[in-house]
Parts: sequence; C-alpha cells; structure tokens
Amino acid sequence: MIQIKDLNFAYPRQKALFNNLSIHLEAGSITGLLGKNGAGKSTLLKLITGPLRAQSGEVSVLEHDPRKREVSMLSDVFLVPEEFSFPAITIKDYEKACSVFYPKFDEEMLNRVLNEFELSSDSNLQRLSYGQKKKFLIAFAISTRCRLLVLDEPTNGLDIPSKALFRKVLAGSLDENQLVIISTHQVKDVENLIDKIIILDNGKVIFKQTISEISQRVCFVSGTSDDIDDAIYCEEVPGGYRLMKPNDNVETEVDIELLFNAVTKGKTIE
Amino acid sequence: MIMQTTNSFSLQRFFMLFRQSFRINKKIIGITVAGFFGIVFILLFLFQSKSDFTHWDNNDYMGTFIFLFFILGIVYSSLSFPDFRSKEKSIAYLMLPASASEKYIFEFVTRIVAFVLLMPLLFWLTANIEGAVIHHWVPGLEDYKFSFGKALDKFYSVGGKTVWDTLSIILGCLFIFLAAFTGASHFSKSPLMKTLFTFSLLCGGSFLYVYLLSKGLNIDQYNLPDDRILFISNGHEEAKLFTLAASVINISLLAISWFRLKEKEA
Repeated sequence: MIQIKDLNFAYPRQKALFNNLSIHLEAGSITGLLGKNGAGKSTLLKLITGPLRAQSGEVSVLEHDPRKREVSMLSDVFLVPEEFSFPAITIKDYEKACSVFYPKFDEEMLNRVLNEFELSSDSNLQRLSYGQKKKFLIAFAISTRCRLLVLDEPTNGLDIPSKALFRKVLAGSLDENQLVIISTHQVKDVENLIDKIIILDNGKVIFKQTISEISQRVCFVSGTSDDIDDAIYCEEVPGGYRLMKPNDNVETEVDIELLFNAVTKGKTIE
Repeated sequence: MIMQTTNSFSLQRFFMLFRQSFRINKKIIGITVAGFFGIVFILLFLFQSKSDFTHWDNNDYMGTFIFLFFILGIVYSSLSFPDFRSKEKSIAYLMLPASASEKYIFEFVTRIVAFVLLMPLLFWLTANIEGAVIHHWVPGLEDYKFSFGKALDKFYSVGGKTVWDTLSIILGCLFIFLAAFTGASHFSKSPLMKTLFTFSLLCGGSFLYVYLLSKGLNIDQYNLPDDRILFISNGHEEAKLFTLAASVINISLLAISWFRLKEKEA
C-alpha cells in the first residue's frame, strides 16, 4: 500500500531531514509511527499524503505518486493533521459539504462515532473546544472509510476518557483493507491499539516490527536491582525497575514506552 | 450521487466545489451582499447630497460605479485562495479530493468572473432603489434612474471607438484583477499589500530602466514626433498595442497563479 524508497527531503535552508529513507507498509494494520519531537514524523506523513514533495526518491501510495495529488488517491486518503481549522458551521452542514468528496463515506458510522464521542451534529464547529474538534475530525476521518488513514498526534488535546474512547472507536471501525498510520510522541496513548511499530530517529527508521514479533523476542517485567544484569534495558520506577528482557517463553504486554526508550538509546531487539 | 474519481477535469466535482463553498460560506455571502447594498446606498446618498441632489446624473452614477468596481474588485480578488492564508487550511485544501484544474477554475470563476458579472447587477439594483427612495423624499433629484446602456451609448458616441478600444479596456480591467488574484496565490500573508508593493517595484524599476536607457543612448536628444509611440502612429494602433501587451501579461499572470496552486506545499 505504501512503498517509500530512498527518500530524500530537506526543508529550505535546513539540513536534510531524511536521507535514503525506505519504508514498506501493507494494508490491514494500525501502525504507530513513533519518534522524539523533531524526528520528522509529521513531515513524513505529509510526504506520504501529498502536501509536501520529496526532493528525490520514490513514494508510492495506493499505487499513486502522492506528489501528483490525483483525485483517485486523494479520495482514498485522509490526513488528520495535528493543527486544523474549521469554518463556523454546524457538524451537520460540514458533513453535507465535505462528505460528498469521499465515495465510500458512511453517514451511519459518523452518527455512531459522534454519539460515542458525545458530540451533537447541531454543534457549531467553531464553538467546540480543541479536543471536541479533534474528536469530530477523527470521527469524520473514520467515516470516510478511506483505505489510508493518517493521524498525526491524534490524542493531543484529548482528555483521559476520550483517549480510551478513541482507541475503542478506531479499533472497532476498521476493516482489513485499511491501513492506519498514527504518529505520536505520547506512546502510552496508543498502547493496545497499534499492531506495528516504526521508530524514527534522526531521519532514519531505526526500528520496525509488529507487536507479535516484539512479544516473541522480548518481555517486559517489573523487578529489583538484582534483575538488572539479565535485562536488555531497564528504567528505575517507584518501587523498583521496569525491565525489558529476552523472552524466556513468557508473553507479556508490550511496554511501548520502555521499548521506545530502549530503541532510541541504541538497544537492539533480535 | 457518487463522486467520480477520474483524474481529469470533472464537471461533477467542479459543481461540488460550488455546492461545498456555498454551504460553508452562505452566511458570509448574505452579509456581504447586504453590506454592499448598505454601503453603496449610503455612499450614493452622500455624493448626491454633496451635489444638492440637483446636479446629479447618470454620469455621476457611472463614476461612482467605476470607482467602486475597481476598489472592491481589487480587494475581492486579493482574497482569492483564502485557504492559503494558513498552513492548517492549506493542508485541508490540498487534500480535498478535487483536481488542481477544478480548484483553479473554481477560484477564477468565483473571484473574478462572478464579481465582474454580479457587481454591476448589484450596483444597478442598489442605485435604482436608492434613487427611487431618495427621489420620494427629495423631488429635486430628478435624474435618479441609473442605466448602463445610457452610459455606454455616451462612451461609444465619442471619437468612433473600435473593437480594439473595447478589448483594451476589458483586458486592462482583467489585468488589475488578475494581478491581485496572482498575488493572492503567491503570498500567504497580507497578499494585497505585498502585491501592490511588488507591482510598484516592477513598474518603478521598468520606468527607471527605460529612463536610464534613454539617457545612456541619448534618445532624449532625438526629435521624436509627439503623435507616435515607437512605430505606433494613431489611437487605434495604440489600443491594438495595449490589447496585445495586456493579453500577454494576463496570460502570464494566469500561468503564474496556476503553477502556484499546482506546486503549493504545506
């Protein structure tokens, strides 16, 4: 679905952000694009969806070149940017105005998700809080049923119950022909949601594995200072340590935050 | 109705852009039309009162129209590509499933064609309503019916105008609006001010260049006939030259604004 080969990109008068970056992603997963601030996550998402153009390299999205911004691609790709702006109209009017551009738009799904997010279709978009606007945009994005959904920091601005709701709604609204890319630096927010992790650092993909591959290779446990020696990576927490250890036939939940810190500090998982 | 997803120009999507724009901007359109009516009404009343209501005729209406047509046209054209004013809106605009040609023609039609067609109609309507209302209270205002036909008849009755004169006027007007339109496609912030500044620089630079050239080549020493511009010897030829130059410049401006939209990044 997404094929990036030897991508090079730099903002004007700045050093290169990506040097020969290559990524391959197929449909049927929710992929977490993780990275520190300034790692290039948002830029990569814009290069994939079309608002930005790479200086060189190949980018293929749904067998289209996103640089051309062809309608056949745009009608099957939806980007939820971190910052957005809405006109001063009601949710109902916005839906009427914009949904027609997405041939697979599912109005029933929109109403269901809006209901779950406790948003009324008569609300004026400009009078909503940032978090409510974001929830509406996520609801709209899901309802387009686009094959590629790209969410840039979707949980920023959401309160704690909304973050849980976001995970529930997203997980329950997708089918196997869709690919969702979620970029975030708040790794805890996407735990139990993503099934593939890509970690970006200094313009390079330094890690790309599925959650099941990670679970097979490492386990995440709590321990004391006596357990540190066996660990690939550990972090001190109140009451002891969080440890990432080679898997010895114990399948544990992936601690994405610990994994992220381990990988960005140069630890490898094989 | 399911949207076509062909990549070439689609009339269906083009009309969908109109419908979308109307749904989003219907309140603003209503307020703008009402505001226009109110402002023109008040302006005409003020101008008429300054001439004691008695020395007012069709020419004065036409003068007011021409003044407003250019001022409002420049301002309105400079508000083209409103989504380019912020990064967030630019992303949403670029990601909207419509081709660049549909978006561009939509912008051209709503910002220039619609203004050129609707503004005279609105002005005519407002002027005649205002004239009738004021005449009711101030019977001294006798020439209160505004007619474009009368004004055009008067214009064409002077000096045997040709098709080139008409074309040169139309293309000259179009140039002014297209300059503001192109500026709006190029500059994200304060497009009108920056466009005016850019064109002032271009015009000032060109005049300075020609002046220095004429000084350098001692052209001012030559005894040139007063009724000629280079090889042009009469008014009709001037109109032809102006039409040709305006056509070239207008096509260039259209091309620049088109590429600005096509190559836009956010």
